[in-house]
Amino acid sequence: MPALPLDELQITEKDPKTGKLRTVPALHPDQKADRCFVLYKPPPADSATARVEEYLERAAFIADDLDWLLGLPHKKFWCQVIFDETLQKCLDSYLRYAPRKFDELATPPSAVSEMQQRLHRSVFLTFLRMSTHKESKDHFISPRAFGEILYNNFIFDIPKMLDLCVLFGKGNGPLLQKMIENIFVQQSSYYNDLDETVPTILQVFSNILQQCGLQSEGTSTAPQRLAEKVRMTPSAMPLQELRDVVLYLCDTATTLWAFLDVFPLACQTFQKHDFCSRLASFYEASIPELDSAIKKRRQEDSKLLADLWQRLSHSRKKLVEVFHILINQICLLPILESSCDNIQAFIEDFLQLFSSVLQEKRFLRDYDELFPVADDVSLLQQASSALDETRTAYILQAVESAWEGVDRRRASPVKESP
Amino acid sequence: MNDMDLPRLTGALRSFSNVTKQDDYNEESADLMLKRSKLQKQISDLGLTWNKIVKFVDDNLEKKEVQIVNEDLKDILRAAKQIVGTDNGQEAIESGAAFLFKTFHLKDCVGHNETKALNQMFGPFPSSSATAACNATCRIASHFSEDRLTALVQMTEEQNGDRVLFGKNIVFSFDMHDLDHFEELPINGEADAQKVISLDY
Repeated sequence: MPALPLDELQITEKDPKTGKLRTVPALHPDQKADRCFVLYKPPPADSATARVEEYLERAAFIADDLDWLLGLPHKKFWCQVIFDETLQKCLDSYLRYAPRKFDELATPPSAVSEMQQRLHRSVFLTFLRMSTHKESKDHFISPRAFGEILYNNFIFDIPKMLDLCVLFGKGNGPLLQKMIENIFVQQSSYYNDLDETVPTILQVFSNILQQCGLQSEGTSTAPQRLAEKVRMTPSAMPLQELRDVVLYLCDTATTLWAFLDVFPLACQTFQKHDFCSRLASFYEASIPELDSAIKKRRQEDSKLLADLWQRLSHSRKKLVEVFHILINQICLLPILESSCDNIQAFIEDFLQLFSSVLQEKRFLRDYDELFPVADDVSLLQQASSALDETRTAYILQAVESAWEGVDRRRASPVKESP
Repeated sequence: MNDMDLPRLTGALRSFSNVTKQDDYNEESADLMLKRSKLQKQISDLGLTWNKIVKFVDDNLEKKEVQIVNEDLKDILRAAKQIVGTDNGQEAIESGAAFLFKTFHLKDCVGHNETKALNQMFGPFPSSSATAACNATCRIASHFSEDRLTALVQMTEEQNGDRVLFGKNIVFSFDMHDLDHFEELPINGEADAQKVISLDY
């Protein structure tokens, strides 16, 4: 007899209150163990013994509890995942506060590093198990119920998926890709959530510009306090504030890139919000100002400035790569993969997308540096004989003019076929 | 800067988007204390209770020996009382005493691992009490073979041996995204600006 999916499975057990036999769904709150997961806190910034001990104690609790969880049979595991709020908070706190490698904190004591590695693996395996609806021939959840369980219980949400990509995407990309794709396939509501999240990402861009005094805070007619009128430019702001802005930019650029790198199918949803041109505008407004602010501060903490400049350069590269992933996914890949009949729409998208960013000269230079626009145009020319040469020439000319008056130091373009 | 305050994109998404569960984390400030008490309960639920230890002694020793060992058992209970405190009642003291017996039953002294285990279970504790409990357990253990002691502790332990951890064969990489080398993207800014900054960091 074929096994039933867990969501349809019933079990017969003794009622703890009455002692009589009863039949209950296998997924039932009573099946949850009283475990009490603690919240994750990151390793301390210093090596003070008390703080290190507290970190180790807390982390050991979590690592032991996750090992216990991963050793549970399928149905017990899912009861714990669905009904134990402390587990969900524990996992969420790890995603929030686990140090990213680019945070560049001081090297922790070896005991802390070892514990952090143990935790890192256990957290990943827990998320892997939670994104798997078919564990074996006999242990599975029906796809529809699985999608509802994940979504209705916030087992995954968009910020969690972004965190997973930035924490685990480098070394475990292929597996993570399967996990995230499966989550979106089984629960299409996550696309709606992504659609709702993109405006907040764009708001983060606006907030960074506001912090840099490069964008006013809307068109409110309410009276402003005098202090609010004083906008701090990156060049004038205290070094620590500049540092915060650059750290925020660095995390934002890296996290966005890590997510789209693992899950490029999200690109269409991003572009529904005109993301490419808004990204280019943001780049154009923020990067030259921050660049210049760091360069001008030659009298201040040189080590910190060098670090900030490296982070800014990294952020630039990631933002440019985000743009490229979007272009690649939205226009270039469909052109390469489609038959001759239906590529015109994608070519039109490409031309419109580039036309919309031609005034962002600094962005255009940096993009062209890593992903020569001429190569993409050449691809279009090969794909379609009916290409509007006037428009492509206009785009190429605009790219060339963006380089005018600039010492062109072309780096090796990223070797990557679209 | 506090590590927890590092500015994150996902922090903003959690705060300002409508797609996450809005959890309140403030109430969890005392979660370590709660966890320790849960752990004590878990240990007692495992089955190695103080009564089982007393019965084991009664069943396996001559009456004369039992009288001597009873003094050692009292020492362990006394130590547990000092470590656990009296606020939690006799049950918690006996549960703590069973844990001390379990921790020290094959040890000569309070080593690093034992200190860690006690710390995890009880939080900070007086070392003299731990030493007293260790010595008393040693004296009790001297009346039994190692196999019999192991059998006493193991028969009550959770049956973990045959559990298969999900993902134990998954190849996991600890590699994480780091800052990219910026040489790949030189400054395409104004020509004069490039002369100001040194790339030689």
